[in-house]
Amino acid sequence: MLPWVQHRWTSLWLVVAALGSLCLFLYGFFPLKYHSGNLAHMDDLPNFIEGVSIDGHEVYNPGQNTVILMVIDGLRYDFVTEEYMPFTGEIIKNKSACIYVSVAEPPTVTMPRIKSPERKKEKAQWRRTINFWRDIFAMMTGSVSTFADVALNFGAPAVQGDSVLRVAKSRGLRTILYGDDTWLRLFPGLWTETDGTTSFFVTDYTEVDNNVTRHLDKVLTPDDKNKPNFDFLVLHYLGLDHIGHLEGARSPKIKPKLIEMDEVIKKIYYAMQQWDSVGTLIVCGDHGMRDAGGHGGASPSEVLVPLVVIRSKDFKCPYPSGPGPTVSQVDVAPTISWLLNCPLPGDSVGVILPSLMPRDVRQNLYLLHVQASQIAKLISTDTEMYKQYKRAANQFANYLSTGHESAAKIAKEFYEESLHGMAQHFTETTTEFDMFAIIIATVCLYLITISLLCIALYSLQRDQKTNIIPHHHHRSNASTMVAFAVIYTIISSVMVTTCFITETKSQFCSFKPLWCVAFMAMAMTITAVYFIIKNCIENIKDLTSLRSLNAIDYLLIIGTLFHAWSFFGTSFIEEEHMTWYFLWNTLMLVVLLKTIAVIVIYVGKKWSGSTEVQDKPDLEYRMCAVGIIIVPQWIMLIALHRYLRTMNQTGDRWLFLPDTADWLNAPENSFYLELHCIIGTFLTFMICMVNLKHMNNIMQMHSALTVVGFGCVLTYRMATGSITSLITKSIDPVIIVNIFWGILISQFIFEIVSYIGVSKFSNKFGYIKPKEKSEVPFYVDPWCVDDVKLNLANSLSHIMYNDMMMIIVLLMRPHNVIMVPSIHLTCKLTSVCLDHRLLDSRVKKTEIADLLSKTLVHLWIGMLFFFYQGNSNSLASVDLGSGYVGLREYSAVRVALRMGLHAYAGPALAGASLFCLLSSHSNNWQQYLNSVWRVINIFALQRVYQLVIYCVISVIFRHHLFVWTVFSPKLLYDFVATVFSVQSLSTIGQIVLITHSTSWLARLCTRK
Amino acid sequence: MFSLNNNVELRRVTISSLITCIYLPSIITVISYKGLLYSVGNASSCYVLFLIFVAELMKSFYLNSNNDLQNKRKTSKTTPSDIAKATIFLIAAMFSFFIGIILFGAPVLEYHEETLMLSTVLTLLTLFPLIAHTGVESAVQLLFGVRSFSRDTIIAMLVNNALLTVCGAWLGAVVIPLDWNTPWQKWPIPCYLGAIGGYLISNVLTVTKVTMMSEAAKYPIFKLGINIINRLHISK
Repeated sequence: MLPWVQHRWTSLWLVVAALGSLCLFLYGFFPLKYHSGNLAHMDDLPNFIEGVSIDGHEVYNPGQNTVILMVIDGLRYDFVTEEYMPFTGEIIKNKSACIYVSVAEPPTVTMPRIKSPERKKEKAQWRRTINFWRDIFAMMTGSVSTFADVALNFGAPAVQGDSVLRVAKSRGLRTILYGDDTWLRLFPGLWTETDGTTSFFVTDYTEVDNNVTRHLDKVLTPDDKNKPNFDFLVLHYLGLDHIGHLEGARSPKIKPKLIEMDEVIKKIYYAMQQWDSVGTLIVCGDHGMRDAGGHGGASPSEVLVPLVVIRSKDFKCPYPSGPGPTVSQVDVAPTISWLLNCPLPGDSVGVILPSLMPRDVRQNLYLLHVQASQIAKLISTDTEMYKQYKRAANQFANYLSTGHESAAKIAKEFYEESLHGMAQHFTETTTEFDMFAIIIATVCLYLITISLLCIALYSLQRDQKTNIIPHHHHRSNASTMVAFAVIYTIISSVMVTTCFITETKSQFCSFKPLWCVAFMAMAMTITAVYFIIKNCIENIKDLTSLRSLNAIDYLLIIGTLFHAWSFFGTSFIEEEHMTWYFLWNTLMLVVLLKTIAVIVIYVGKKWSGSTEVQDKPDLEYRMCAVGIIIVPQWIMLIALHRYLRTMNQTGDRWLFLPDTADWLNAPENSFYLELHCIIGTFLTFMICMVNLKHMNNIMQMHSALTVVGFGCVLTYRMATGSITSLITKSIDPVIIVNIFWGILISQFIFEIVSYIGVSKFSNKFGYIKPKEKSEVPFYVDPWCVDDVKLNLANSLSHIMYNDMMMIIVLLMRPHNVIMVPSIHLTCKLTSVCLDHRLLDSRVKKTEIADLLSKTLVHLWIGMLFFFYQGNSNSLASVDLGSGYVGLREYSAVRVALRMGLHAYAGPALAGASLFCLLSSHSNNWQQYLNSVWRVINIFALQRVYQLVIYCVISVIFRHHLFVWTVFSPKLLYDFVATVFSVQSLSTIGQIVLITHSTSWLARLCTRK
Repeated sequence: MFSLNNNVELRRVTISSLITCIYLPSIITVISYKGLLYSVGNASSCYVLFLIFVAELMKSFYLNSNNDLQNKRKTSKTTPSDIAKATIFLIAAMFSFFIGIILFGAPVLEYHEETLMLSTVLTLLTLFPLIAHTGVESAVQLLFGVRSFSRDTIIAMLVNNALLTVCGAWLGAVVIPLDWNTPWQKWPIPCYLGAIGGYLISNVLTVTKVTMMSEAAKYPIFKLGINIINRLHISK
């Protein structure tokens, strides 16, 4: 199995395996909930109970009802007392209102602090929408939502399935919203009348509520027939939460605010008395608040919220005074639906609040039957609760035909039991993770990390050839196969046994055909990993190359290791960019100090007498590569990074501070914006032209193509209006972009063709050595395949790099175009400064240490620019606009590719630059392959290491309140990053493959 | 790094470190007791800087004092031009700290006062004792690593103090992004306190080390402690 370890692309396969494990992990972590998607109708109401007929419509009808749902943000349970809310407390005391405890799942809400420009408000809006999503979704659809609902609705957070508002609209009822406009985003087009308030500013706690209350007088006044002019009214008050955020739950402002809320309740209560129809007011909070203000913990004061039910007529709370029974948020949906005489929403799994259930036995039983039958559709028929439901239905039919009171009693008991069981079943299945799959995936990831670590260490040994022990080659294949089969059998049987011992309900252990394949693949991966680890451990003998690591290498390694662990703090996930900026600044400072020290020593020696410099030729050698100019260059680079850092504010807490991008995008500064755009494009153009020197022949051709390509980019900018011009407004951007693609492809084809030797241009490199050079009389092999391969790989890497830069310049926002040349500059300067021969006094063989530090530093640069560009670990920061560059209509694959390349522009460019560096610094083909091998191993190791740590963290924090807003999006980002790593590693593989096939083709074409 | 040979210097190092261990915590305690701890970033807290300045000056007088009889080398008299040079150098150093801090990510357009206070305290704790002890020229030479300082106990201690101060300020920045929303997360309080903490820790380490060294003969276990502290010290 040793060849595996030595094989160049093993780490690529391991990353693919890691991606597979990650998919399994995500499957376990984000349970895809079954949404039936069916929309409820009145005709669905059953007219027969076990063969006994009943008039569904007539029995179901609750009479003329008007419902008001009043959501008070941040209303915690102990606020609803006579002390804080005198009126409400009193009516609860005299039983004309009923209080329940409901357990909320508080979201994380972050409020912007100062006035922010429009584009940031969109981000904030998205975040808020996600925050309210869970509560509003539960209250309006009656079903619990999962993160998959949010992620799949990406960009358009409207509720797709059935909801109270949908059924109300289908019944032609008037629905009104006054309050937070998140409701409008979730249920667009379903309201009759709305007045959405945007509540961005936490400091505003009077105006947001006045905006809601100002309509009350008008809307509560009944019309001529003494009927209110609405059927369902939603009031959403945010002021209380804002005070909580600002000053905490003990603030003196809380009490007046609660009294104001109490006044509103009182007003509604007395208005409802005047109506002919029965009014129902449901007051609830969506989450509580900490004493210190804010929310986001799991303490009782944050998660316990009151749910108060007030009816205008004919209502007496059946419970003894006290805290009241516990209900769940999903119960609100069926309650409101029923009161409005609408069918229960299609996916609802809640039950009607017991105190509102009619006292008429027949209607009561019928309602229980309707709810139970709706939920029973979703569960299998052989469960106990389903049988219970059937028994209850029989008893109900019995009651209907005979009229025995005892049958009704039994039916009611049975129905309630079965409903209780079903509700429990649903909360278990929708909120529980598939722990078995998660743990298996994490273990597998862990093993892959270990094996990658082993491979990376193995590859960092100095000379590979000496390590191959000859008898390994002679070992017969058959015995290897047998060993593999034995270990495979053992591992799969262990896994099967674990499945049965843990009695897990996981799909992974369901042994359905598809899952069997996954199961076997997993066992196969673990077996392969086992062999790799075993072989590596046996063969790692000489790690002396790691002794030449210097302080900067250790900083890079420790920084990379530490960064993965920093995710244990949620703030460090939200503000991940801070970690990178911090690490990068430290690195730059250390490099600066080291470089200055070297230069000062050099200058000092030179000053004090040149003889000493001659004594130390290595110092001279070290210096001549860079010169003193490096120090001011490096300082300029630090300044450049400081500037780029201000370009886009990202993360969460400081997102709303004004940044340079805001300033540039202001209409009065459009000149500077254009300047940024043009300078960025021009510099990229220069870099591309310089890179052309690595390409074969037809320089003129390539230069011409590059010039035309950049012409296209500029024309595109003019056509889209980011650069003002008079002439080109009329050109269709799509055509320009298509021409652009054509140029890139033709450039690539030219290069290949020139290497094959078909073209008759003067090639710089060719397979046949030019005759005038081989003047040596004896026979020379005309084939210098390896040299040409190296050159081809070199020019292909550079073409890839150039093309990528051009595409990214095209995709970037105008103010971000400057990032592209900055990445190149940073990569170039760092690879000069991080050279071990420059910084370390002892000059030894440092290629391996160089490779290690360069790989890590390019990874850092990639991540750094990822955040400079304005990305963050929140789904809100994904730039959707870049996906549609040069596209006329939506095409999922193309849009996704563009968005991906745009978002990961930094890592992609830094990686491409690294591979260009490798190819241009290698002396021969073998060295190139070896260095690529080492780099790939380190790259893969870093990726999977970060992944496994993050997976462990998300498992540990799976019940954390931020799991939706912080942990899950980061998990998706990690998933995409892994996909891109696979892609980038396979690109290098493809380059090597193309090199081989080109040399084969060339042989075919030129050997005549 | 420290040798027991030069007992006089060792005693001075110990005593000056002890003084630091006493006066810095006292200042911090007093201002936090007065409720002024979170206003260290404002110009109104200049008196803290002044106190540190005076204390460091006294310490350097003590370190430079020539009271031992064996070592009667003639020290150059401090001339006004020396003081002027030192002042200019310190101000230049302060501004380079200022620019460095901004390059490191402090706000560019606002909070200049706070950044300036931080850079002043960094200058006071790192470069000022060095200059007061050795003079501008040697300090510059030390800074650029032209001259080796490994034989001089006092300078070794001062350089260690300076390095740990900068490290403390650097580590202080870690808490800024956390979402605890506490008043002490405001710029530049974590870095300011981090710098003072680093300086303090360095002095505490020095005292501990000297104590251990003097007792190492009796209790061999202290040698381990000395080794650990030696490792902690960042040597150039």
